[in-house]
Amino acid sequence: MFEKLMNIDRRIIFVLVAVVVIIPTLIPIRLPTRVAEPTQKLYDYIDELPPGSTIIMAFDYGPSSLAEPEPMAKAVLQHCFNKDVRVIGITLYANMPTLADKLMQKIATENGAVYGEDYTFLGYRPGALQVILGMGTNIAGVFETDYHGTAIAEIPMMENITNYDQIDLLLDLAAGSSTEAWIIYANTRYNLKIAAGVTGVIIAQMYPYLQTNQLVGFMPGYLGATEYEKLLNAPGDGTIGLNTASFVHLLIIGLVALGNIAFFIQRRREE
Amino acid sequence: MKRQVPLALCFLFGIVMILTQFSPHSYSQGVYREVINWNLIINPFALILAVATLIQTHMTRIQRRTEHWQYSLVVFLGMAVMVLIGIPLGPQNSYVEWLYNNLQVPMDATMFSLLAFFIASAAYRAFRARTFEATLLLITALIVMMGNVPVGDLIWNSVLSWLPMEDGASKVRQWILDIPNLASRRGIILGVSLGVISQSIRIILGIERSYLGGGD
Repeated sequence: MFEKLMNIDRRIIFVLVAVVVIIPTLIPIRLPTRVAEPTQKLYDYIDELPPGSTIIMAFDYGPSSLAEPEPMAKAVLQHCFNKDVRVIGITLYANMPTLADKLMQKIATENGAVYGEDYTFLGYRPGALQVILGMGTNIAGVFETDYHGTAIAEIPMMENITNYDQIDLLLDLAAGSSTEAWIIYANTRYNLKIAAGVTGVIIAQMYPYLQTNQLVGFMPGYLGATEYEKLLNAPGDGTIGLNTASFVHLLIIGLVALGNIAFFIQRRREE
Repeated sequence: MKRQVPLALCFLFGIVMILTQFSPHSYSQGVYREVINWNLIINPFALILAVATLIQTHMTRIQRRTEHWQYSLVVFLGMAVMVLIGIPLGPQNSYVEWLYNNLQVPMDATMFSLLAFFIASAAYRAFRARTFEATLLLITALIVMMGNVPVGDLIWNSVLSWLPMEDGASKVRQWILDIPNLASRRGIILGVSLGVISQSIRIILGIERSYLGGGD
């Protein structure tokens, strides 16, 4: 019996995963969350920015991993627009401009923000490191026009922005190693304040930078998005996603425990 | 000449760019800005090279009829459709956006979503406490997983309510990330950084030449 349990058909596991993903998505449950320090720090930093400040939001993820960073982007954009903080969107990912542009437009419309005055989207340029370094000397030298083809000089909110000296924060929404590149090249060389919102797999990499204040704060995966939504008192996609993730986590923990129980009983019998 | 010129250029630009990091003089910073601009111009050529390599690889697969060579035809079909529609009409054209939103986005998301199923299956089969190190890894992973989701604290507070610590799952997770994880990550960062410095010096001085091709 334990031999069978240890070699359970993987299709049974696939069905179980599908069930624990589908049910909490269809029947949302609000689970209590406490806000951890990294997210609180980011929220406080943005909340204390005076109206008229400018942040850059780098959409450094692709369609494959948007489930986690997108709720973070929505929450922070909402926060910025409500605080009259201006947002410049960019991406280092070639397959991201369309999604990022649409997302910024959607959240701006919901919050009454005006393109060119409260936010702008500059799009994508190849060569991540060169883009990061180049923007430090002259943003218009890297992005001559925005995503829609308007010259930078003709965008009202870009009037007094030349380089990172006029930027109060860069928030990197990342599914890869881009946050480390922003820290190494933009923070170390140009003293640009960096924050991040990262997918679950790279959370652990962010802690050394948080401890040295090279990161002002960061949102760790779905949990970070949920925490930010809680601070805004506006539950959204992050909260829904975290609830679903909760049950998948429980299933995997249960499966690992079951697998180990079967393994130990089997081994004892063999001895 | 084929090797000497790239080696000389690498040496020259490597040394000049290092020196610009130590000099705030306007001439030095001017050189730095100029080289960054050159880099921005050079970068798109990498994209051309990538497309050429992709075409070459898949052409070879089709010519040699290697296993699953038919998928290479799909690569060319996808590329041809996106290039023929995308280049003349631009990325904001409704047809290009339709293809992007209804083909690329769902396919990308599907590929990534499949991971959840395979991870669950792999965790069940492979995550066994066979040795002391494996047990340590297993326990740590389970605690971090529990602390990553709110249901972990709910379970902790109801099952381990006799412990003098509320919301223990998220607190223990935070301690693991703040202390042992941070210490080991910092060690890795220092090691990698030293490796990058030594490799950069080797490239600048022409000791490491594998980037030129030819294997030496």
